[in-house]
Formats: sequence, C-alpha cells, structure tokens
Amino acid sequence: MDRATARPQFHDQLVLLEEQALGALDIVVEQIDRVMEALENQDVELATFVINDDDRIDGRYLEVHQGILSLLALQAPVASDLRLVAALLHLIKHAERMGDQCVNIAKLIPIVGSEPPIVPELLDRVLRMGTAARAEVQEARLAFRGRDVALANDLFRQDREVNRLNKEVFQLAVAVGDEVDRREWAMTLTLMARAIERIGDNAVGIGEQVVFVETGLFKEFPAE
Amino acid sequence: MTTASARPARDVLGKPSSSHRLRDRLFVIMLALLTSVALIVLAVLLINTASDGVPEISWSFLTSFPSAFPAKAGIESAITGTLWLMGVVTFVIVPLGVASALYLEEYADSSRWWNRVIEVNIQNLAAVPSIVYGILGLAYIVRGPLSLGRTVLAGGLTLSLVVLPVVIITAREALRAVPPSIKEGALALGATRWQAIWRQILPASIPGIATGVILSIARAIGETAPLILVGAATFVAFNPTGLNSAFTALPLQIFSWVSQPSDQFRLLAAAAIIVLLVILVALNAVAIWLRNRYQQRW
Amino acid sequence: MAHDDRSARGIVRDVSDVDRDPELNPPSEPGAAEVPGQVPAVSLGQGHSSVPVVANHDVVDDEIDDPVFVTEKLSVSYGGAPAVLDVSLRVPQKQITAFIGPSGCGKSTIIRCFNRMNDLIPTAHVEGMVRYHGVDLYGGDIDSVQVRKRIGMVFQKPNPFPKSIYDNIAFGPKVLGMKGSMEQIVEQALRRASLWDDVKDRLDDNAFGMSGGQQQRLCIARALATNPDVLLMDEPCSALDPISTGRIEDLMHELKETVSIVIVTHNMQQAARVSDRTAFFIVDMGSSEEARIGRLVEYGPTDRIFTNPHDIRTEEYVSGKFG
Repeated sequence: MDRATARPQFHDQLVLLEEQALGALDIVVEQIDRVMEALENQDVELATFVINDDDRIDGRYLEVHQGILSLLALQAPVASDLRLVAALLHLIKHAERMGDQCVNIAKLIPIVGSEPPIVPELLDRVLRMGTAARAEVQEARLAFRGRDVALANDLFRQDREVNRLNKEVFQLAVAVGDEVDRREWAMTLTLMARAIERIGDNAVGIGEQVVFVETGLFKEFPAE
Repeated sequence: MTTASARPARDVLGKPSSSHRLRDRLFVIMLALLTSVALIVLAVLLINTASDGVPEISWSFLTSFPSAFPAKAGIESAITGTLWLMGVVTFVIVPLGVASALYLEEYADSSRWWNRVIEVNIQNLAAVPSIVYGILGLAYIVRGPLSLGRTVLAGGLTLSLVVLPVVIITAREALRAVPPSIKEGALALGATRWQAIWRQILPASIPGIATGVILSIARAIGETAPLILVGAATFVAFNPTGLNSAFTALPLQIFSWVSQPSDQFRLLAAAAIIVLLVILVALNAVAIWLRNRYQQRW
Repeated sequence: MAHDDRSARGIVRDVSDVDRDPELNPPSEPGAAEVPGQVPAVSLGQGHSSVPVVANHDVVDDEIDDPVFVTEKLSVSYGGAPAVLDVSLRVPQKQITAFIGPSGCGKSTIIRCFNRMNDLIPTAHVEGMVRYHGVDLYGGDIDSVQVRKRIGMVFQKPNPFPKSIYDNIAFGPKVLGMKGSMEQIVEQALRRASLWDDVKDRLDDNAFGMSGGQQQRLCIARALATNPDVLLMDEPCSALDPISTGRIEDLMHELKETVSIVIVTHNMQQAARVSDRTAFFIVDMGSSEEARIGRLVEYGPTDRIFTNPHDIRTEEYVSGKFG
C-alpha cells in the first residue's frame, strides 16, 4: 500500500521495522521446522541447536522494541501509522513467545528417549499439530504483510484444528496406562502439545493485530 | 578550470583587486564632494549673514519697535506678531488637520468618487506655491466673504491654508503607522470603532502628529509671500493686541528692511534673519526631540 | 424557569438576553467585580428549531449537548469568490475545540465569524447561520460590539497596546463599562492568565518591554478581563518559542474550566495535545484551478481523529502525508 512521498525517512523506517518484525516470524517458522524434525528423528543435537538459536529471536525482539521506541519519540506517529507501531509491538512479543515455546519443546526432546515411540498415534498427532502450527505462523505473516483481514479471520478457524488435536493428545495420554515409562513419555508429549497449542494462540493473536491495524477495532477472537 | 571549489581559499576570501578598491574610493570621494558643495554654500550664506547680523543683536534690538532710525529700530513687534501667528496657525491646523486625516483614513469610503478626488488633490494642494494661498487669503479672508481685514486672524488663517495639506498628509502617515493589529485588538475587545480610534490609535499616533505639526508651524512662520499680500502696512510699531489687530512678522520685517536704501537697515535685516533662524532651529530641534523620545517602534 | 418560557416562545432575540453561567465570574472576595447582565447558559432544545447534527460530509458528527456555537452551512466569500463553504458543526461548551488544516482552508475565516470580526473586511460576505447559545449572531438586531464583549479573541502575533500593562488589561472593562474595582478586575485577569506573579510589581511598565510569550499571555489576560464566555484563539503560539507555547497550552487547560475555547492551529501536535475535539478542513480545488474553497472534512473527538480517523484525507493530513 504505497502512499504519498511526504516524510520518506519516516516511511522507510516504518517499512524497515515491519520487515524486521516479520523476519522474526520467519525465524520462528524455521525453529518450528527444526524442532519438529528433531522430535521425529529424536535428534538431540538439532534440539540443542534450536535452544541456542532462540537468541536470534530475542535479539530481533530487542531490535524491534528499540526501533518502536525511537519511532514513537522522534516521529510522533498518529492514526494508522500509530496503530501499525502498536501492532508491531504486539507482533514481536508474540514472536518471542513462540520462540520460547519452541525452546520448551526442544528441551523435552532428550527426555523422550531414543526408542521407537511408545504410542505412535500420540506422536503422530503432535507432529501434525506442529505442521498445522507452522502453517498458522506462515499465514499470520502473510496476513500481516498484506493487511488481509479475511486471512486473519481464517487463522482462527485453523487454530481450532490445532486445539482439537491437542484435546485428542490429552485423551490418548490419559488412556496410556499405569506403567511409569509409558506415563512419563505420554506426559512429556502432552507438554509438547501444549507448547504447540500456545504457538497457535500466538499466531491467532497476530491475526487480531491485523484486524486492529486495518479497522482500528480490537476484536478478540473467542478462546476455546 | 577554476571552479569555486577548485580555487584556493585564499583567492576566494581575499580582498578585492586594486582596481575595485580604486573605484570604491573614487565613489566615496565624489559623494563627499557633492555633500561639501551643498554644505559650503550653506555655510557661506550663514557666515555672511551672521557676521553682518550678530553684532546688531542686543536686548534693545529685541525689545524695540521698528523705527525710521536704524539705531533705534528693533523687532519686538515682529517677534510678537510671529508668535501670535504661530498661535493662530496651531489652533487652526491641529483640529482641522487631525479631523481631516481621521476622516480620510478611517471613515472615507474610497469607492466614492468624491473621496478619491480629495485623496488625489491633497498632494496637489501641498505643492501649490504659497503666493497662491496669499491671493486666496486676500480675496476671501481679508476681503470678500470673511472680510476680516488685515488682521492677525486673517494672516493666521492664510498661513494655515498653506500648511494644512502637509499637516493632513503627515497626520495620515502617523495614523497609518499604527499597525492594524492594534485596532483589531481593540475592536475584538468590544470597543466601538470610535472608542478604538479615540483611545488607542490617536494616542499612539500623537508623537507623529505633533512632529508634523511643529514642522508645519516652522514652515509657516517662514512664509513671506502670503504675509506680504495679507499683512498690514509694513510699518507696525506695536504688539498685536488681539486677533483683530494689525500685525507684522519677522519675514515681513526682514523684507521691509532689505528693501530700504540704507545699508544700516540691511544689517538689521541680517540680525532679524539670524533671530528667525534661531527660532526655526529651535522648533525643528523640539520636533526632532519629540520624535526620538516618543516615537513608537512597532 | 421564566427564561425557558421565553426561549420556548422564540423570544430570545438579543445577545444580552442570553444568560451566562455564573461560574464564569468567580468573585474571590466580597465586593469583587460584579458584571451587569450575567449570562447563564441556554440549553438548545425546546422552542428552538432542530439543527442538523450531521456535518456536511459523510461522517456522522457526535451528539453534543448544549453547544456554545452551532453553525449551519456557514459559508464566507470575499468579493463574490467563495473562500469557505458549507461548514456545519457544533462547538461544545467548556472544552477546547481545534480547527486544523492546510493553509487557505478557511479555518481562520470561520473562527472570525464567531465574533463578527469578518465585518471589518468590506468585501466579506457571510451566508448560512451561526448560533451562539441559540441566538443567530448575524441576526438583524444583533450588535457586533455586544458580541465581541462576550466572545474574546487572541491573535497570532501578540498585539498589546503601547501602554502600561495595567492600561492594557483595563481597556476592555472600561469600554464595557464594567463596575467594580478596576484594580481587582486587572488582578483577577492577570491571575487567570498565570501572569500576576510575573508582573504584579510592575503594572505601570510598558507592555512592549515584555517578552513575546509574556505579551501573548498579556493579550489573553486582556481578553479575559471582560469575562467572556468564549475565547477564540487564532494560531496563538505560532510566533512563540516552545517554552512559551507550552506555558500557554497549560494555561488553556486551566482556562477551559470557565471559558469555552476554539483554537486554530497549524501545529497538529498542539491540536493533539490540547484539544478535546478537532475539526479538519481542506482546500478543495473544486472544478477549476482558481477555485480554492475551504471545506470541513471531519469533526470529532481529538482522540479518534488522531488514532482512527474516518476520512482518508484526515488520515493523510494528520500523518503528515500531505499538507
């Protein structure tokens, strides 16, 4: 959406800030990919890499945060520019949270052990949740970039899928039996599922920001 | 290829060339020469007159009346006559001049043709030779409708006519010099137009008006031609007793003495000239002091 | 109340009939200045014809109860050429309303209709309606001098009279014929303008010796001395440094408790900081190059104008993308 050429420096700064923030979402997508792969292949080394690479997201968060403060202090944005800046603050926070959730999952991978999965259906669902969550984050990025309110609303529908899978994981874990090893494994995967579900919620939060930037109204998508 | 940036700083910042400097110098010298010519001429006149006249100035000179005998002649009646004339002129030109200026500046609708006619002609009137006013005065004030005779009042009125256009112009300038924001401010407070003018604009323009009035008076008392036409017999050996009285004035006395065959009288004329000059300089000094002291820097 | 009966019968004709809020003349001690013809507020409602609430554009104006000014299709032209057209809005009481917009959009012209200052320009012609507490300001029997006693104005460049501080403040009350101790009136006006402490020891000093910011506060005090109900401010800070500007803005916040304020400003941040409602005007190029006509685009709470304006032109102007 190209506007007039007045205040080009401000415009450029705003565009750059948005790119940086959206770039953080790209890193999040990479992290989700890696951690799911580490889970599937029980790759502890990859998991460690994910944990360390979260620093990049944290760094990006600080960068964008500082950029927002500068812009507010120096350029006094108003109207839609102001809403964009506020939304970017929320967005980068969501990205940072999503990165933290990936780390949480990565930390649990060593516990899952190196034997074949105790309950393959459970693992399968967790992996599917990961794929779905990844898709949500991608879509959130697209929606924000294009200020696409329809796409943002669709996120909410997608997230229901993730939530549904989460419930199934929980049910399966409850039914896993009395054996300690089995229970430990199942509960670990439940924790991972929960982390993925949180990632999905954060993506929906980004969708809410898209609606806010476009309409000026903050509408919270109902939690389930 | 010597662009400004390529030339060394010294070249760009240095003093102008010698031919430039010579031309500047010559220009200044020429200006100084021209000024000196004017000043020298003035100085010669002044010194000449002063050397003739100053020895003649004495208290008895100032307090004696004119006489056929140079040794006994003095300018008391001329001085008092001039003072009376100044009084009449002041009393006439201040209200008339200020009122006219106010009317033209504040109330006259410039889209009406008669107002435009007045505007154009005020300048013309200021440029009319004073002898024309003298003839006017003789025909209509001394004789004709007013028939005041050759009195102080008639003389004063005639002189007023001479300087009134100038006073009106000066007063208008003084009124215009008051920024419109003052008037706007006064009106915005709920003052009527008259209140704004009377309480704010006129007071603020008084220094300018006063300066103009004083300078006009100074001019008026030096005018000889109208007085010759309107004045009484030139041998007036008494002080004016009232507005109806005959009079003489310094320019008249000077003219009369200069026309006498005797050299002695010419010395007296020189003395009278000096006295007149002193009065004029004093009036101008007062005007300048007033202007410097009270002029508003907006 | 008897007054309501009269207004119901449509008898309110003269500005002096309009009552003003006694809050506006706070006598601090007994024997303080008493203003003849106290003017309490008239509420627009019964007996007055209904005034369209919608400004003449697509955006719905919010309801304002008991406005101090209501304009209906107000238009001003100079010598036949329209300068600003069809302005309809309602200015609330005891609040600060800002008019913003690019140069030439007519915001100063409109504000000068509110105190009949456009009368001073011979070629100016005003059409449409301006109501002040329900009274048509351009009605045949309305005296513009009376109007200006109740609606004060502060100009862009401070214009104190070349007199003492005391005489500056006292001028308005004197021409108004206000009764009471002039010293108290002057002191109260200076206090209201946050200037008393600065000048109480030098009331006889010439006003021109003050700094620009002080001069402007003097002009505000001078306008307040007649106890007006409304203060119109035409870019009051544009000739001042930022510190003086800040002090005057603080002053405006204090004053709005007793005086309704309408401010024209080309400084958007100032409008954002100071005002409760903002009206945005543009220069409409219209059908031809020469026709530069001012129009009202949007009017609403300042908050909304600066976070979520309805009209895209407002959006672009406040974001600095044009103008």
